[in-house]
Amino acid sequence: MSSRDWLGLKHELPRRRQFMLVVLSFLLPLALWSAVSYVPWLWHPFVRVTAPGGVDYFIEGMDVPRAVFAKEKAAALQAGLVAPAGYPVNPVYLPAPHKVARAFFTAFKTPPRLPNEPWLHESLGHSIRTIFWGFVISSVFGIPLGILCGSYRFFSKLQEPFVEFFRYLPAPAFGALCVAILGIDDPPKIAIIVIGTLFQQVLVIGNTVRKVDPALIEAAQTLGARGWRLVRRVIIPATISDIYTDLRILLGWAWTYLIVAEVVGTSSGITFFINQQARYRNFDNVYAAIAMIGIIGFSTDMALAWLGQYLFPWKRRRRASALKSSVAEPSPSSAIPMSIG
Amino acid sequence: MNASSLALPDYRQQRPEVAARFQRIKERPVVLRIEDLAKHFGSGPAARTVFDGVSLDIHRREFISIIGASGCGKSTLIRIVAGLEEASAGRILLDGKPVSGPGPDRGMVFQGYTLFPWRTVKENVMFGLEMGGMDRSTADAEARQWLEMVGLGKFAESYPHELSGGMKQRVAIARALANNPRILIMDEPFGALDALTRCKMQGYLLQIWRKVDVTILFITHDLDEACFLSDRIIVMGANPGRIIEVIENPVPRPRSVEQFLTPEFLALKQRLDDIIHAPGAAEAEEKLPVVKLTEAGDEVE
Repeated sequence: MSSRDWLGLKHELPRRRQFMLVVLSFLLPLALWSAVSYVPWLWHPFVRVTAPGGVDYFIEGMDVPRAVFAKEKAAALQAGLVAPAGYPVNPVYLPAPHKVARAFFTAFKTPPRLPNEPWLHESLGHSIRTIFWGFVISSVFGIPLGILCGSYRFFSKLQEPFVEFFRYLPAPAFGALCVAILGIDDPPKIAIIVIGTLFQQVLVIGNTVRKVDPALIEAAQTLGARGWRLVRRVIIPATISDIYTDLRILLGWAWTYLIVAEVVGTSSGITFFINQQARYRNFDNVYAAIAMIGIIGFSTDMALAWLGQYLFPWKRRRRASALKSSVAEPSPSSAIPMSIG
Repeated sequence: MNASSLALPDYRQQRPEVAARFQRIKERPVVLRIEDLAKHFGSGPAARTVFDGVSLDIHRREFISIIGASGCGKSTLIRIVAGLEEASAGRILLDGKPVSGPGPDRGMVFQGYTLFPWRTVKENVMFGLEMGGMDRSTADAEARQWLEMVGLGKFAESYPHELSGGMKQRVAIARALANNPRILIMDEPFGALDALTRCKMQGYLLQIWRKVDVTILFITHDLDEACFLSDRIIVMGANPGRIIEVIENPVPRPRSVEQFLTPEFLALKQRLDDIIHAPGAAEAEEKLPVVKLTEAGDEVE
């Protein structure tokens, strides 16, 4: 096994190796994080005081910069006092992996500090609901508009210049406006996700639809398709799987707008939880919550990709080569006398 | 030229049965009439003429090939016939009625298969039938029959990407024929196939044509293909595009691969070769400024 087997340009890797690399892509950052957290001489810019010794302003459990600790320790020794004791730690905003891992479970079990605050699962549910409605409303308008723009020059010229302009207006800038119009609860948050997603969606889907192979349209025309049926029976099915992929990417963007949207009006959802935990300096919970967004986003995307295989069976290419090589070219049957037509 | 030393017969000389066949063809009604067709691109001084003054009558169940050097406008010509482009002048009559725009009465098979990848093989064949308003179950049965005819009945439920190039093109032919077109237009349909598959496909096409009441307008740049398949061969020239000669193919039917070496076949091919590769017809091969990189005495030719 030479290194070329691993690093061949555009060279397919065996499935086992691919899987190994996928696992590794997650393990490498985790290993780096673990190293910084668990190897005492890596970074660890602070010392946590376990015994103040002769230093009068040291308190047990306080974090002091290493240099300060060393200076005070030397001073105490020189003065004949008891040396302070401590161990190196990282700043409080970088918790160790095991703490974050534990927070994944404890965060769900910890009741909120105030009785009217939501539990973590409620916050998450709230976020997912917001993003779902934002994305659905955006898609209801964005997909048909995109298809129209991609199919007809008329709509492309009528819509896209304005959409292109509007796309540059940052969605969060509409926050105050949305609150003024829609109140302080969920509607303005959904509106911001719609504003952030819709205009990109029209342009991206318009572009995808424009890329449909013109030869397919010509073939359909010579088979008698025209007008709206050409759009419905050829352009849409020809691009639907690419539109689906576009939507998967756009859903990722929608999560970005979610975080902005959730601080508009009354803070809510996962952002509320994150901000609240950061205020209490529970950074392990903060990391856990951020990681949860990643996990939800990533697993949604995986699920959609998996679903796509079933929605668009013609995109599954794996069977192709096997069939082609195993079946000899059959010949037209000369026995059947032609009775068609 | 060099082949003249082989004492080939005149390509216009026809055996009695071949002459009789052409007589019969000419008595059949004209399916497609091309009247003084012209195509220009652009306008004003920048205008370029693709072809001009092209007229042609195609009779029912005739197999016509159009052959010509690249740039003679043969593809543009049949795209106009198919209604995919508009002519600058002249008109197209199908069964005596002028046509414009694409329609199911003029079926087309393209070089790049153009099967709908999201439809199974059978659904591809059903497409035109559905567009024509046929109900699904009738269309289904009809599509199956057409697939049987091109020998792909077993692949009805496969997707196009699971088929080889030759099989895809047979589906495309079945799809076009299912609409019962008056004329089947084929734009270098076998151009993308390897030599062996192309040869097989030519045989299949003749088999299908024998069984179906369809007139075929076939574009190719392969001289053998034109000689093997057609009744008449339309030779087009470039700059500007025009019909140079309409040749009645002297090779008797039924055609078979053995005929490739008959005197008629060779004479016809020689004639086509002479017209298409005539001096001035195409640019002479350019002398490449290659410095000799091999040792002296290491000549390959």
